Amino acid sequence: MAAASAPLPLDAVLARGDVWRGDALAALPGAAISSGYPELDAELPGGGWPRGCLTEFLVDRDGLGEISLLLPALARLSGEGGWLALVAPPWLPHAPAWAAAGLVPERLLVVRAGRHAAWCLEQLLACGGFAGVLAWPGADIDARALRRLQVAAEGRPVFAGLWRSTATGTAPSPAPLRVALAADATGLSVRLLKRRGRPASRTLRLGVPRPGRNSRVVAGPSFAEAAAGSAAATAAA
Amino acid sequence: MWAVDAAAAAAGVLAGQRLSTALGLAPGLRTFAGDAAREAQALADLACWAGRFTPTVVPVPPAALLLEIGGCLRLFGGAPAIVEAVVAGCAGQGWTVSWAAAPTPLAARWLARHGAARIVAGPDELAAALAVLPCTAPGWPERSVARLASFGLHRLGDLAALPAAGLRARIGSDAVDDLLRARGELPDPQRPFVFPDVFAARLELPARVEDAAALAFAGQRLLAMLAGWLAVRQLQVRVCSLHLEHEDGPASTVALRLGEPSADEGRLLRLLREHLGRLQLGAPVIALALSADETTPLAPAGPGLFAEAAAGEGRPACIERLRARLGEASVHAVGLRAEHRPEAATIACDPLADPAQGESAPLAGFAAPRPLWLLPVPRPLGEREGRPHWHGPLDLLTRGERLESGWWDSGEAAAIGDVRRDYFVARNPQGQWAWVFRDARGWFLHGLFA
Repeated sequence: MAAASAPLPLDAVLARGDVWRGDALAALPGAAISSGYPELDAELPGGGWPRGCLTEFLVDRDGLGEISLLLPALARLSGEGGWLALVAPPWLPHAPAWAAAGLVPERLLVVRAGRHAAWCLEQLLACGGFAGVLAWPGADIDARALRRLQVAAEGRPVFAGLWRSTATGTAPSPAPLRVALAADATGLSVRLLKRRGRPASRTLRLGVPRPGRNSRVVAGPSFAEAAAGSAAATAAA
Repeated sequence: MWAVDAAAAAAGVLAGQRLSTALGLAPGLRTFAGDAAREAQALADLACWAGRFTPTVVPVPPAALLLEIGGCLRLFGGAPAIVEAVVAGCAGQGWTVSWAAAPTPLAARWLARHGAARIVAGPDELAAALAVLPCTAPGWPERSVARLASFGLHRLGDLAALPAAGLRARIGSDAVDDLLRARGELPDPQRPFVFPDVFAARLELPARVEDAAALAFAGQRLLAMLAGWLAVRQLQVRVCSLHLEHEDGPASTVALRLGEPSADEGRLLRLLREHLGRLQLGAPVIALALSADETTPLAPAGPGLFAEAAAGEGRPACIERLRARLGEASVHAVGLRAEHRPEAATIACDPLADPAQGESAPLAGFAAPRPLWLLPVPRPLGEREGRPHWHGPLDLLTRGERLESGWWDSGEAAAIGDVRRDYFVARNPQGQWAWVFRDARGWFLHGLFA
């Protein structure tokens, strides 16, 4: 590292993590976690889902593959020994499916938060003991609460995903990354509404793992092993 | 009269007067009888609290407490720092303190009773400090003090110059021995306070309390006592319970469960506030009692080799706070069970369980896909032209997977019981992937492939 006083070549300045050019994506080295989808990583600042800030996922319906989009990243966090938390999830997590995706269910905390969702999320982000937190705060969360959450997450190595409806997409939000998700004929369409750096223009169509594509229900141990690897494998082809 | 308040003092009532005299001066005087047993209890409680400073604590009835601080000066950063902490702590619990620190216990007591409020460091300073004390300070019998006054001896310094044998003959042996003990010329062994094996403390409230949040202050005093006791016993607490005693009816109990054993008073207090904030009092509370139910020996956690800044309070503390506010059952981890019926395959497990127990062995996967989300109760679906409908007609994408039987718990309460279902992966026109089943009653939505 050159001393701060010495004149730096331009390349060295541009290579710094906290300097970004208008036409390039901000790179936050070490902060991002790969999403598992190369075409998505290429669009995300830092090359993956960011840590230490809020990420909003705007989606109106369940069952489009929205969680499957995050599973590769969550599985990596969980596999490294990190804890994950689900705050006020809309449904009950079904452990066999989460385990099949590579997560450790014993390190998955479920918080039935009721009207305390924002408070719970803030505690979980600020305590520093979780690698990833997904929260469904409901429609009544306001800009002030979001700002508090963003402050709570700042500087902590935690992936914080917030699920909101697409109707909130027009309202401003302190989250540096906002992702709109919609169903697509072949999988999931992903649009980055907001990101650090140059705004994204194109909509990505990702082939998230979907069940039942090639699977046939056949009872028997020989077939079970092939399908046991992960639910993702059954349909990724 | 032992003590009087400002209004009574203005009427001319003084400590040391007879009750009849005092009532003559102020007819409307309200008096409260002293209760020796409760005073002794209060002193013992305070001794317990003082365990945080030093393991050698000596309660001297009726109202004195000796702390041996010579051994822990470095830990706290000098005598002034300890004194400041003790005085502030006592004030925080509502006690008025007059204090002194001296090389001998008796000198410290005399100086404190005289209101010296000073730290006497060495033996030389001690002689000078004692010399200026009046002869009334030691609390000798009135006859002896009167005698000394009749000799023209008003200060302890005057006595120091006199021959000991003559003094002994005139004011008694005990007083002279006291003087020698105070100077450190005679040994003065003390009987230290024995910290109880099991912690249980009780605090009567000055008034009936109807608001749960107002109990936090009294609870804080009890927790301070607990922290002192834990420090002396080298213990950490995991579960303690606060009993709220009502005027009539049985006491109600608030269990404080920590995520991990801890001796941190602040953490216990935060947890208590959370619990009290949620508590609905059925009846006014007249007394509080705290007992430490589950303790473990203190595991000394050495500081890291490098000063890694611990970011945040950590997971167990966070979980215990969430549980305090939301209830124990609302915060849980997920466990996996070898069970073919979907509702029974997921169990709630304790997120604070010992990590050494390890994770459940990965079970053999299912041949057929399983959804990430499960509905708590299967939702009945309409059927049109032989196809189930959920936001439009559902396309069945797989062949049926038969999940059957469960006769072993069919009679039990809250059990799923015997089932016979054909499960399908289905997709609706909105692009939602669902897990539906058909049984004898029709179509049901049971899960979502999110």
